[in-house]
Amino acid sequence: MTNPTDDSKQVAPRKDSTSIVKRTLARRYAAEKRFRFYGATAIAISLLFLVILLGSILVKGLPAFTETQMLIDVTLDAKTLGVEEGASEQELRSANYNALIKKSLREMFPEATKRKQKKELYKLVSTSAEYQVRDSLIANPSQIGQTIKVWVLADDELSALYKTGGLTDIANVTHTRLSEQQITWASSLNEQSRLKKQFNATFFKNGDSREPEQAGIRAALMGSILTLLITFLLSFPIAVATAIYLEEFAPKNRWTDLIEVNINNLAAVPSIVFGLLGLAVFINFFELPRSAPVVGGIVLSLMTLPTIIITSRAALKAVPPSIREAGRGLGASQLQVVTHHVLPLAMPGILTGTIIGLAQALGETAPLLMIGMVAFIVDIPTSVTDAATVLPVQVFLWADSPERAFLEKTSAAILVLLVFLIVMNAAAVFLRKHFERRW
Amino acid sequence: MNTQTTTSGSGTSAASDAFDQLKETVGDVTVTDPKMCARNVDVFYGDNQAIYDVSLDIGNNEVIAMIGPSGCGKSTFLRCLNRMNDSIPSCRVSGDMSLDGEDLYSTSLDPVLLRARVGMVFQKPNPFAKSIYDNVAYGPRIHGLASNRAELDDIVISSLQKAGLHEEVHDRLDAPGTSLSGGQQQRLCIARTIAVSPEVILMDEPCSALDPIATARIEELIDELRQNYAIAIVTHSMQQAARVSQRTAYFHLGKLVEVGSTNNIFTNPQHELTENYITGRFG
Repeated sequence: MTNPTDDSKQVAPRKDSTSIVKRTLARRYAAEKRFRFYGATAIAISLLFLVILLGSILVKGLPAFTETQMLIDVTLDAKTLGVEEGASEQELRSANYNALIKKSLREMFPEATKRKQKKELYKLVSTSAEYQVRDSLIANPSQIGQTIKVWVLADDELSALYKTGGLTDIANVTHTRLSEQQITWASSLNEQSRLKKQFNATFFKNGDSREPEQAGIRAALMGSILTLLITFLLSFPIAVATAIYLEEFAPKNRWTDLIEVNINNLAAVPSIVFGLLGLAVFINFFELPRSAPVVGGIVLSLMTLPTIIITSRAALKAVPPSIREAGRGLGASQLQVVTHHVLPLAMPGILTGTIIGLAQALGETAPLLMIGMVAFIVDIPTSVTDAATVLPVQVFLWADSPERAFLEKTSAAILVLLVFLIVMNAAAVFLRKHFERRW
Repeated sequence: MNTQTTTSGSGTSAASDAFDQLKETVGDVTVTDPKMCARNVDVFYGDNQAIYDVSLDIGNNEVIAMIGPSGCGKSTFLRCLNRMNDSIPSCRVSGDMSLDGEDLYSTSLDPVLLRARVGMVFQKPNPFAKSIYDNVAYGPRIHGLASNRAELDDIVISSLQKAGLHEEVHDRLDAPGTSLSGGQQQRLCIARTIAVSPEVILMDEPCSALDPIATARIEELIDELRQNYAIAIVTHSMQQAARVSQRTAYFHLGKLVEVGSTNNIFTNPQHELTENYITGRFG
């Protein structure tokens, strides 16, 4: 016990302490001001780059959402088609529409007589034009022998020129692979109002194609959806169960420490290694189909697992222990405490971790290259065992293509990828709000 | 008896001598109508011994207060009474503890069942992130105490009434339990504990986070609950111990120094350490 009469040990206030504090105060406020300035600058810079990035993608990608159609007069001549009057639908399907279109183009521009000129002329329409003519005939078979007007898809180079307004000012056309002759024809088509812009439904309906005007995002989008579905279905339950077991049930000993260290290490493994693992184990050993979303999903869930486990454990740890005590004090079993009280409170955090993991998986390319999801996919995958590709791989493939029209497709695919991500995040935010409870 | 003390941070040298020489608890640890009995209980956290050879009875229809300076082991002892310490892996308990003659730490007694019979109220109000109704209904629900909604309603309402909370919340049973004030939350936690119909209620400093008015309300409640339950309360407030309890146990550095009727402890403490504490010379 201290002796209250002992004055020497008592702390007296320093006389000059106010002026000392005053002097340091200015310094402290200056430091705070500087720090705030650094923070604001950092945010401004990152916002600037974000705007530049999104702006350039939008500017480049938006034209891909419109396509150019060309009006041609086609005489549905039964002889050129190679069918007889009253032919069945089957016969109409296999008829030669290409010849019809070529003929109608030659009639529109009779000056094309040389073989090379004709070839250039035919290149103005897309190779998919024959299907459009075919469909319009099959829809109304009685049109055989008549001359009909059909809107057909224009070629990508013509389309690019038309969409950028190059056809109204043909003297100053740059960056095109169209010949002068082709440009003249195209502008004459434009003058006759035989060209129109419309929403590019093809982009959302088709799979990949060698012809840019026919190439679509559907196959890659479906591939991404299927792959992520598998990833979510595998990684979410396994990761949450692992996190709950490690956090709430497992004894803390050398083994659980070892497991924890390994999970943390797994989070740092380069993703391509997971691709190699998938190739060696799932494709070569278990003989699962190549290029399939099921393998992609398994590989990506291996990659996502550590992320979800680590964030889920952090979320579980953040639940106040008093809640666990309250539950146990009432006689709830350990599992009841976890499922009734801890998990609902940790759910928002777990969902955040899941979204971070899935967003990572959505943007992943490297491991999917190893398991063959880099393929050229024309058919829309409908099941998880169909050959598929995913959005980032599609971006990579299109960015690699020489045709200029793929440039806008690349940006458009990035936009689709971003929209996918936003939809996924929105779903997570909605679920968070749903699970969030005031504490 | 372990007489070696390494952490005698407070007290005069005379008092610490008195502690070193403490061989046996002063006063009678038994009661005529015991609900729970503890005999020669030692508790260890890893290598640290938290409780040394404590024996104490908790009688039916009585409130026993446990007082003592911080870190004296009174909360540890309380938590052993319904095996809340099981979740601490390094915690080890030896000695005998029983409820109605049944060994608490035998393998035949399920800790979940034990906690249904020995309820606990904690220092900080900790309602679940659920509605007021669901907070109280939670215990009966998991134990299957109500066979239908009407029975459950009865349990919830009567528990809230017993806890003296019903009048304040009867029109907003769907509001979240966390929306209540601190004192109301603590009474909600008491109602939640009563709803399981325990035989013993353990309270670990139930009023330390509450203002004097809420405290008075809870002390009143404890006194009413005594008619039907055995209650053990840990408190730092000696006034509170004097007000609510019939018996008081004084703990010091893991040892039970003195037990006796509350009147005797506060007016005529036998042991020097108890006297020092009561008179406010340390602790």
